[in-house]
Amino acid sequence: MVFDYLASGLVFSSIIVLGSIGLSLIYSIADFANFAHGDTMTVGAYAAFVTFGAVGGLGTSVLGLPIGFFVALVAGIAVAAVVAVVTEKVVYDGMSAGSIELLITSIGIAFVYRAIIQIGFGADFTRYEVQTLRPIEALLPYGVRVTQHDVAIVLSALVLVGSLHTLLQYSDLGRKMRAMADNPDLARVSGIRTDRVKLWTWIIGAGLAGSGGVFLGLYNQLSPRMGFNLLLLIFAAVILGGIGSVYGAMLGGFLIGMINQLTPVLTELGALLPLVPDSFGIPIGIEYANAIAFVIMVAVLLVRPNGIAGEAT
Amino acid sequence: MRVLSDPKGYWADLTRSEQGVVAFIVAFAGLLLVGLLTGALAPTYFLYLVGLAGMYALLSFGLNSQWGFTGLINFSVAAFFGIGAYGTALMSASSSPIAGDLLPIVGLVVALVVAALLALAIGIPTLRLRADYLAIASLGLAEVVRLVVLNERQFTNGSAGVRGIPPFFEGFPVLADLPQMMPGLAIRPLPGTTIVLETPFWGALLNVVVVLGFVGVSYAVLRRAHRSPWGRVLRTIRSDEDLARALGKNTYGFKMQSFVLGSLIMALAGVFYAHLNLFVSPGDLDPVTTFYVWVAVILGGSGSNRGALFGGFVIVGIREGTRFLNEFAWIPIDVAPLRLLLIGVLIVVLMRYRPQGVLPPQRELIWPKVVDEAPDRPDSGVREAKVGGGDD
Repeated sequence: MVFDYLASGLVFSSIIVLGSIGLSLIYSIADFANFAHGDTMTVGAYAAFVTFGAVGGLGTSVLGLPIGFFVALVAGIAVAAVVAVVTEKVVYDGMSAGSIELLITSIGIAFVYRAIIQIGFGADFTRYEVQTLRPIEALLPYGVRVTQHDVAIVLSALVLVGSLHTLLQYSDLGRKMRAMADNPDLARVSGIRTDRVKLWTWIIGAGLAGSGGVFLGLYNQLSPRMGFNLLLLIFAAVILGGIGSVYGAMLGGFLIGMINQLTPVLTELGALLPLVPDSFGIPIGIEYANAIAFVIMVAVLLVRPNGIAGEAT
Repeated sequence: MRVLSDPKGYWADLTRSEQGVVAFIVAFAGLLLVGLLTGALAPTYFLYLVGLAGMYALLSFGLNSQWGFTGLINFSVAAFFGIGAYGTALMSASSSPIAGDLLPIVGLVVALVVAALLALAIGIPTLRLRADYLAIASLGLAEVVRLVVLNERQFTNGSAGVRGIPPFFEGFPVLADLPQMMPGLAIRPLPGTTIVLETPFWGALLNVVVVLGFVGVSYAVLRRAHRSPWGRVLRTIRSDEDLARALGKNTYGFKMQSFVLGSLIMALAGVFYAHLNLFVSPGDLDPVTTFYVWVAVILGGSGSNRGALFGGFVIVGIREGTRFLNEFAWIPIDVAPLRLLLIGVLIVVLMRYRPQGVLPPQRELIWPKVVDEAPDRPDSGVREAKVGGGDD
């Protein structure tokens, strides 16, 4: 059983990591907590939904997913990035306001995204038109029930996170972004075009969020609230990792995703641990999975406000 | 009252936006009056709307004393509202799973105590940190409170909600039975229309009295507090926390006081709502309530109590007004997302183009005496004063 929870934790944390990286990047470079980030994920998911409906399967499939789905994934990433850039240009860019005012504005933006999606697609749940798969046979003896789709999610997330790592560490843009996250004024006087770096940050952050949204739709279902419901977990991940640290956000996202999916273990703790009676368990049901993330977040704020990987403020 | 003795001078003294707001209020009140007289608007429903508007005004006061005074971003308005509503409902309702059938006033006290404890619990970890941590943590708190109310069936009845909440004046002498004792009245304001006022009307009237009492007391307290030295410290914290700290103020303590005060007022709104609606359910804790209140405060003018009052009324107008849109068949879509869109666009447009709101705090921050006694021009010019006082 635990292996199964760990496996689904791995899948879920891939999604959270994709969301939290973007949020952390925007937090450190655009300097505000973007409450519209969850709804950017929803935008990506629905853009992929429309694209997939238009292009169809396109023949062969990889890991149970037709090629058309990967085209839709790219479309979802692109649309999320474009929407975020347009929002940045139209709304945030012209505001001469502090981070608090931007934060409140981003709530309004989140509602606008969600309302438009709800007007276009209705409030009901939908699914991608991909075949539902049976769990992979080879893993069933170990009690692990994952489908090829889950494997596809984890692998795609690994590819995306890996390329982000390469970009941040070895490219010119990555060095500029790290410089700007560190000290925007210093970056500016050093001749870095901070506006352009900021724009790229939005593209990368929102693009990753869009991919996370597509995978969330594949993992669960699509609904206009899907992103906003995930926002709290993503924030918990970012705070756990330390605001402004991209690698912290990855670690935080991984931990929060794991803990979220491991919640059922709490009630059956006795059966797993040696030396405690089998009936022992912490009576917290899965309905409180999101609440646990919140409690962890508050505990981190109390003990170590800069997060596990954060630098001093 | 200067409005009555010198209406022209009063009008001329107002700022442009104040004139606009006054004109709007007068026009809207006129519209309501016409509706009432012609019978298009039932008096009982009208009083219900007034009660609802008073409730939103209370919520806006609460948020204004956190965000407007001190700059604290509280995204858990709905949670404190829900604590207030459930606190009193679980104490006084006949179907309450825990206590039940206690006096509503006991419920009021319990609700306020729980709200204060919750505010402390969320304030302690976050108020020492940057302002946005409170925003994130309070959004999480709202979700946790909603989950607890929804899932702890043995304490809260879960999604079924709590029924059988008595009116607020249950157990009071005279007031408790007043609606039943009042005679039914039939009045004819205009020829051809008859309005019958019966027990529900008097009950609704009592509710309005309660909420006006709550609103009046909160307004008086907040107005006084805002001008007091305590309020000045809060305003300093809002504009520059480092400055307040450099002046030797314990900003953490002040922020905590402001946060708890605002949360108490929000819980008060929840208490009133439970006794207005006589039924509470987890649906009342929907986070969107929080953002209605945010729009009310930003629209009215952050930091302005009368702005919060105005914003609260406008929000009820939006909420109940969009309900009528459903009756037009030519609108092909559901109204719920439209309302969400309206709220979102309002937030963005206000923050983008008029972050100070329509009634920004101006004269209300200054003691009136100071304005009245201030001379129009100084007794002596600056130059003379310099020449006279200097040695060189």
